[in-house]
Amino acid sequence: MITVLAIDALEYTLVEKFDCNNLKQKYYGKTNISEFSEPRTMVLWSSFMTGKNMEKEILAKGDKDMWNTKLDIKDTFFDQFENPKIIDLPGFSYITDQHDQERKLLKEFFDAQSEEEKGQVRVDYNNLAFEHHRKIKEEFIDVLEADHDFILGYFSVADVIGHLNFGNRTMMKMIYKDLDEIAGSMKNQFIVLSDHGMEQIGIFGDHSNYGFWSTDFKDLGNPGITDFAKIIKEMR
Amino acid sequence: MDKENLKFVIVGHIDHGKSTLIGRLLYDTDSLPKGKIEEIEQICKSLGKDIEFGYVMDHLEEERDQGITIDTAQIFFNTTKRNYVIIDAPGHVEFIKNMISGASQAEAAVLIVDVDEGVKEQTKRHAYILGMLGLDQVIVVINKMDMVGYERGKFETVKKELLDFLSGINIKPSYIVPISAKEGDLIAGKNENMDWYQGPDFLQALDSFRVKESAKDKPLRFVVQDVYNFDKRIIAGRVESGIIRKGDKIKILPSGEETTVKSVEEFLKNVTEAEAGKSTGIITEDKLFIDRGDVIVHDRDVPVLTNHIRANIFWMDNTPYNKGDTLWFRCATQDVACEIEKISRVINSSTLDLIAEDADEIKNREVADIIIKTDKPVVVENFNTIEELGRFVLRTDDTLAGGIITELVQ
Repeated sequence: MITVLAIDALEYTLVEKFDCNNLKQKYYGKTNISEFSEPRTMVLWSSFMTGKNMEKEILAKGDKDMWNTKLDIKDTFFDQFENPKIIDLPGFSYITDQHDQERKLLKEFFDAQSEEEKGQVRVDYNNLAFEHHRKIKEEFIDVLEADHDFILGYFSVADVIGHLNFGNRTMMKMIYKDLDEIAGSMKNQFIVLSDHGMEQIGIFGDHSNYGFWSTDFKDLGNPGITDFAKIIKEMR
Repeated sequence: MDKENLKFVIVGHIDHGKSTLIGRLLYDTDSLPKGKIEEIEQICKSLGKDIEFGYVMDHLEEERDQGITIDTAQIFFNTTKRNYVIIDAPGHVEFIKNMISGASQAEAAVLIVDVDEGVKEQTKRHAYILGMLGLDQVIVVINKMDMVGYERGKFETVKKELLDFLSGINIKPSYIVPISAKEGDLIAGKNENMDWYQGPDFLQALDSFRVKESAKDKPLRFVVQDVYNFDKRIIAGRVESGIIRKGDKIKILPSGEETTVKSVEEFLKNVTEAEAGKSTGIITEDKLFIDRGDVIVHDRDVPVLTNHIRANIFWMDNTPYNKGDTLWFRCATQDVACEIEKISRVINSSTLDLIAEDADEIKNREVADIIIKTDKPVVVENFNTIEELGRFVLRTDDTLAGGIITELVQ
């Protein structure tokens, strides 16, 4: 069985800073996403699963519709497996209602006129993201016990919470340590992969222009996100 | 009346629960900013976990980095008896540097040990430093009792293992308390799970310690930090021991010149004396050549000037010391070139095994009994007599070792 911990916005520097040794595994580094004009979540994960740069195709859908992207399994490397399980991955099994609601609250936060209103929206936004994280974590742990030859769990909490709270280091550390605990509970070989990292802008966070990878079997150097389709196929 | 302060350090192996204990102490003594602990509790809950007090330390570090907390290495809380200052050192190298260089000035120490893991190498090294510095107010806390079902047998096993080691390095802990920093057992009154333990809880033990006596009754040692020439010539420094008063007949070392204190200067205050622990300025009757590193003493109580010092040192650099290498010896503001003339004994700080006698090198984390030869005479003291002039560091660009003076070799 091959497992991928797909963690949105997992920031290389914080993995190091917070000593997340389970996320780091034996080999870890940054991914190269310089071929993309901007570090966009939907573009990057779509490119990961197809093994080719999907920027043009995804951007053609427009800012709103791109979030509804659902690629056919035949266009992805998941097709190489007999019984794959892909949880919540943007562009494939993305739980659109949940993430639409997050984006709606994020907009409400920046539109809010008073600090009081912003404070309330922030609480609602964080609660929504954490609740979703708990559900995904539970589902992921359950499917690890099931009969799948490939499992991918997509964790959005570092990205969603990070956008409004990246400057709150204690909160971010608690999230990273939780993700590290998930990595620590893995019994089989796994890859950790992020689409991009995050950089601090005041209390907020914005996407950084590199991602994160780790394995315990090979030093991958500075791979592109599109290289992972081939790497994983070769692992079968 | 202001309550007294007691400074202490918490030491031990990295994962044995130091941060959690500090977080718990701040929580149980209501010393945390309102709202912060609730936020940490809320996030833990959101992640489906019980509150983890260790994150309180992350919050404090975050404040430090943002410059909100003025003092960068001290954490404050109080009990009904007194105020406490926890001196925080981020890593064990920093801890050793702080302890030996005197930056810490700790009056007591807490040695924390995980009941499940027992005594580790780092536990032993830290304990060794405490022993070397002669700290006699030590509480051992055996932590994470909740992880072993509060079992007395586990506590007694670790207690015995630790006492065996401590007796070899001359530390007799005042208390050995089983605790769970996570659950708050035997920290500040709560003891629902270990009725087999009859001693004081952690805060009661701490409250029973005495605050260090002032060194003001010891002979005067005023170390010069700088000389300022304004409209008057002020000699700035720190009174490490004794009291300096207007009218005192003083001697400047190493030159040996004598004069009288014309005045004691303190900004916007009219004072005539300054006692141990005080940084102050003085003006002398005669205009003598005085420089940083000089030590001012009373002419009636002159210390030995020496360039041969016997000491115990803890080497803490990856590059070993090889006999013949030149180093800098720093004690208070005295800074002189030196070399280690004799390495009498080298000891493993973790196992206490003798590594070598009459050795040629000292490696990282080894403790050595040595004789230092300084290029110029220095004013130093036996650590047991005047602590402040009895500790020193050896350095090049970085601090390589710290030590205490055990004998002044004539």
